[in-house]
Amino acid sequence: MTKQFTTIEEMESDSQILKQKACEACIDTWQDRAEAQKNHCQFGEKGICCRNCSMGPCRITPKSPKGICGATAHTIAGRNYLQFTAGGTAAHSDHGREICYTLAETKPDGIYKVKDAEKCLRVAKEFGIETEGRDLYDVAHELALAGLNDYGKPFGFQTFISRATEERRKKWEEVGITPRAVDHEVTESMHMCHMGVQADPQSFVKQSMRVGLADGWGGSMMGTEFSDIIFGTPSPVDTEANLGVLSKDMVNIVVHGHDPSVSEAVAYIAETPEMIAKAKSVGAKGINIVGLCCTSNEVTMRHGIPMAGNFLQQENAILTGAVELIVVDVQCVFPAIGPLSKCFHTKFISTSPKAKIPDSDFILVEPSNAEEAARTIVNTAIDNFVNRDASKVFIPEHKEKATVGYSCEAIIKELDGVTNSFVDDPGTYKPLIECIKAGVLRGAVGIVGCNNPKVRADYSHIEIMKELLKNDVIVVTTGCSAQAAAKAGLMDKEAKELCGDGLKRVCDLVGIPPVLHMGSCVDISRILNLVHQVAKEWGIDVTQLPVVGCAPEWMSQKAVSIANYVVASGLDTYLGIEPQVKGSDEMMHLITDGSRDLVGAGYIIEMDPAKLVTAMIDGIEAKRTALNI
Amino acid sequence: MATLIERVFSGSDEMYEKAEKALAEAAAKYDDSTPVAYPDTAYYLECLYSMTGRKNQTLGELKESMKWIKEQMTRQKRTHDVFTSGVATACAAEVIEAVKYIGGVNPYEGTSYKGHMSDADVRELGVPLVTGDIPGFVLFIGAAPSDAKAAELIKSYQAKSIYVFLVGEIIHQAERAGVNMGHAVRIFPVGPDVHDATHVISVAVRVALIFGGIEPGNYDGIRKYTFERVNACVNAFEPVSDLTVACGGGAISYGFPVITNDDNDMWRVPKSLIVQPDVDKFVETSIEARGLKIRVTNVDIPVAYANAFEGEIIRKADMFAEANGTTHDCFELVRSIDASQVTDHKIEVVGNDIDVREEKNQICLGFVVDVCGKKMQPDFEPVFERKFHAWINCIEGVMHTGQRDLIRIRISNATAEAGFRAAHFGEVLYAKIKSEFESVVDKCQVTIYTDPAKCKEMRAEANRIYDKRDERLVSLTDETVDEFYSCIMCQAFSPSHVCIVTPERLGLCGAVSWLDAKATYQLDNNGPCKIVTKGGLIDENVGRWEDVDEVVHSLSQGALEHVTLYSIMEDPMTSCGCFECICGIEPISNGVVIVNREHVAMTPLGMTFSEMASMTGGGVQTPGFMGHGKHFIASKKFMKAEGGVARIVWMPKALKDIVAEKLNKTAKELYGIDNFTDMIGDETVTEDATELYDYLTQKNHPVLGLEPLM
Repeated sequence: MTKQFTTIEEMESDSQILKQKACEACIDTWQDRAEAQKNHCQFGEKGICCRNCSMGPCRITPKSPKGICGATAHTIAGRNYLQFTAGGTAAHSDHGREICYTLAETKPDGIYKVKDAEKCLRVAKEFGIETEGRDLYDVAHELALAGLNDYGKPFGFQTFISRATEERRKKWEEVGITPRAVDHEVTESMHMCHMGVQADPQSFVKQSMRVGLADGWGGSMMGTEFSDIIFGTPSPVDTEANLGVLSKDMVNIVVHGHDPSVSEAVAYIAETPEMIAKAKSVGAKGINIVGLCCTSNEVTMRHGIPMAGNFLQQENAILTGAVELIVVDVQCVFPAIGPLSKCFHTKFISTSPKAKIPDSDFILVEPSNAEEAARTIVNTAIDNFVNRDASKVFIPEHKEKATVGYSCEAIIKELDGVTNSFVDDPGTYKPLIECIKAGVLRGAVGIVGCNNPKVRADYSHIEIMKELLKNDVIVVTTGCSAQAAAKAGLMDKEAKELCGDGLKRVCDLVGIPPVLHMGSCVDISRILNLVHQVAKEWGIDVTQLPVVGCAPEWMSQKAVSIANYVVASGLDTYLGIEPQVKGSDEMMHLITDGSRDLVGAGYIIEMDPAKLVTAMIDGIEAKRTALNI
Repeated sequence: MATLIERVFSGSDEMYEKAEKALAEAAAKYDDSTPVAYPDTAYYLECLYSMTGRKNQTLGELKESMKWIKEQMTRQKRTHDVFTSGVATACAAEVIEAVKYIGGVNPYEGTSYKGHMSDADVRELGVPLVTGDIPGFVLFIGAAPSDAKAAELIKSYQAKSIYVFLVGEIIHQAERAGVNMGHAVRIFPVGPDVHDATHVISVAVRVALIFGGIEPGNYDGIRKYTFERVNACVNAFEPVSDLTVACGGGAISYGFPVITNDDNDMWRVPKSLIVQPDVDKFVETSIEARGLKIRVTNVDIPVAYANAFEGEIIRKADMFAEANGTTHDCFELVRSIDASQVTDHKIEVVGNDIDVREEKNQICLGFVVDVCGKKMQPDFEPVFERKFHAWINCIEGVMHTGQRDLIRIRISNATAEAGFRAAHFGEVLYAKIKSEFESVVDKCQVTIYTDPAKCKEMRAEANRIYDKRDERLVSLTDETVDEFYSCIMCQAFSPSHVCIVTPERLGLCGAVSWLDAKATYQLDNNGPCKIVTKGGLIDENVGRWEDVDEVVHSLSQGALEHVTLYSIMEDPMTSCGCFECICGIEPISNGVVIVNREHVAMTPLGMTFSEMASMTGGGVQTPGFMGHGKHFIASKKFMKAEGGVARIVWMPKALKDIVAEKLNKTAKELYGIDNFTDMIGDETVTEDATELYDYLTQKNHPVLGLEPLM
């Protein structure tokens, strides 16, 4: 009998109970604030409000079709779009830069070590660093410096673009969007958006792609690769997901944000016998670390640390009344956590000078003091256990099993398991390609991105995935989408029962769940590596692959940066939320069919998840037909 | 280039058309009520029966089934459709074959082909499949690049004990190359056409029905079982037609990978459809693709050594030498002796070698295997000794029957020509003892006696030891031992079946006695046999213990709550499907009929062995039917709760002859009856229940004085 997984209705019913607790505590949650923000400003929504100089703000209406400077709706929407994208690249890439600094501080006996020496040497070679006969840490530190220099590289292009297919690199050169350096592209984007600089919509779109590529093949990729070097390259590991992972009798610490440096240190300290003994001394059974958002993805991929939930679940975690401490680093942290934590015994710790949040206790965590800071944080949590008010605790019981940790290296290793040593060479994606060519798998979709109150939370992620699985389309996922999948049981190997016979057989033979967790949102760089290597081994361009991207519930600037680099890297991208450019038909054309003319891929935008997934399957089948497979 | 999916669809359409044509031809000759059946099976037309639950006993029903077949041939471009079309292809192929059997004829009589395999043959594979002695099956389709290559590939699988099915030209290639074929040597020439592959699918699905207890009609359940537990694969030679590709779709649906050397218009699917251009690598590629576990015993002898030769028969004409225990002094003996007297791997021949002899081709032959080891126990001696039969039989061109001093061994001319000599028996026995009983045997030496005087002397010595063992065996009863053993060796195939093995009730396969189970446990504490304590006696008469219930519940993963050891009516022990015999209630006499697997004819129950066997098996409790070993028949615990062996009213004559001596002794001790077996009916008396009753009355059979069973 097919296993019954948690339904979206069950998840919503849990949220409803927790919402009731918020009402009792007289505190607002995102549902209240979203209601209060209705109806959103249509000028903002359509991207035709310009606030780039103090002559304005200017808004485009039929009566006033131009801003004071004469900027049209197309210029204003394009400018907003580029600025939005550059914000995303800046965020991802600054995360990547922090990881470079962490790599620079690695020591054989420190809290941050080089855990994947092989990868360190491999990546160092890509940066042209001499590795023969050298001390590993010397190489690591030189790599960190080379990575940091890549951000401001004065001439040439970013190092990691050599990983892209030759066809793609030619296309980028032809269109003029080969990314030079992260700082260069972000700065240039901001310059272009200044009053009185760029006014051509197509140039905004091109620069959006370029700054996006700087993220995907630069900041994000460094975030991923260098994190693997320091914390270990993920390999399959079993874990659990949803609020049911909170423990009623352990000290619960929630790690939240994106940069794994803080959470790795906290997890490391919490595992020490000294801390466990201390937790027991206050009457707890132990210390339970759980994650939210992409910090969660980072530590679950490497240690199997359970996932409490994704973006729109961050307040729910506190509302259980069972969280002793929530520690955050950067990105996607609601300022609402501050006042909410005050309604419970929960301690709220912020750790980055870039993200100081009112009503949080700030403890600076840097590579040089991480161990000490982590000890303080864990101690604070343990000390707080006695303050938990049992009458305020409600932990929903729903949770699902998940097998996570599918880095590219891990996927290849799994695929090696289905090769035949008398026919095949190991270490390639060939088994995957053969399954796609034969039609056992119809294709693959990378589903990524956030939650967004504009649509039913997690519903689009889950429903789209289920439909794809039924149609023998394998799904790779990261970020909040990955957590939605995990909560719905789609990362449980038993989810093979939800698949068509082809994908089910693949799951059985390879021993994988049908939805592969590839990591956090910077780890979409893993998807880039995967897709481009598959194209190379297949011998076709990325645009020909029956593979597409999808962000059904996206909301952040990072998501638009991602969407830009995914499209520019050759994959059609299906969006379930409209980018805020609708006020310009020219921009709408340029990001959809226009970009397909330019780089061979573009957006397909559809708010109805059922229609969106149908369009995806049709798109995949059309690519198959073109390949005669 | 057509896609893989298109090729499967096209091939399955072709098979459907052929089936329609075959049906139309049959319909021209016979009406709809004409019976359609394969011989010697209780599972009707097995492919259709397993997938639909429908019995298809007439031509009319078969026509109806064509609708179902067509419905399965859906045409979405998905693997699901490939799988259902593939299974439907196998079913359409079954229709083509089934009509050939109309009228009870054997369409392959007098040909090189065997067509349908009987239930008895499938059941016989149960134990070797479970023990891994047969690691799996391979089906060849088409023509190998040459006759010699065909023979080489077939023999290569055979040497690894993999069961080989042949379809198409390769059968004639093998014949021309002089390959000895047949079920006994694990090479089954099915038929000339691609659609004959249906007979192989029929074997696979019967493994699921018989041993897995999967309900007929449980479409996904059958496929899941074969995928997870039936280790089969297909080797298809170029050129591979769409028809073969469609059959391949069916095979892959059941979980069997296809390996081919046809690169033309072929799509690769990892672990499922593998293109291996080099046929010399077919065997290794296939073994890896299906994950077959090959147990290799490296024995230094000049001929092949494999389980596939276990059933080989050496006829007098092919015989180089024979050691016949009924006319000459022959014996087998294992002794555990002091370590100081054992030189490891010392093999000594006392007397002339087998090619130097006084009589034409008759010899004396005795084996003495001396072992020592810190964990060795005298109780293990007969356990090792009983394995000689299987071990020696696995030598290519050597046949072994019997045990102790009533053995018969034949060596073929070809094997002798290959250089096989007396000392090679020593190599085989040494290698097997050391590999299978490694954890208790530290050192082992073998002495082979051929000298007549020495054989006579040692035979007398052996008999003294046999007598001592027999005394010990008699003293071993369910009451005198402190513990029983559980055996779950079959769970690879029958996941909820558990045997409880006691001194007076051996495993139903006949292969595991209490001593065997004990030795198995001693050899590996985490192996298939575990100690069952005798705590919490609930009912001595039916043989019910709390401890036994607990073990059965736990080892059956909760499928069973209670089991009795001595009753067939109340919570009887389950069967895996590889039982030697089955007994079932005969209502007129209130007795039971026992049939052994080898008996294919009808019984007074109106059912054959296969039909009775299909009532039980798969780890399910079926009161009134019970599978058991031959040697359980003479046990005082046989149906003890229902009155014991006095319930036995009918057995095939051959089985009666095997058990007569012991059964008579038991009946004498229990009821004071002499020559009890004479009171039991057999096929020479009658196969009719009423006539049987008259016979029992005439013989004053004790069953007539017993309480009704139901």
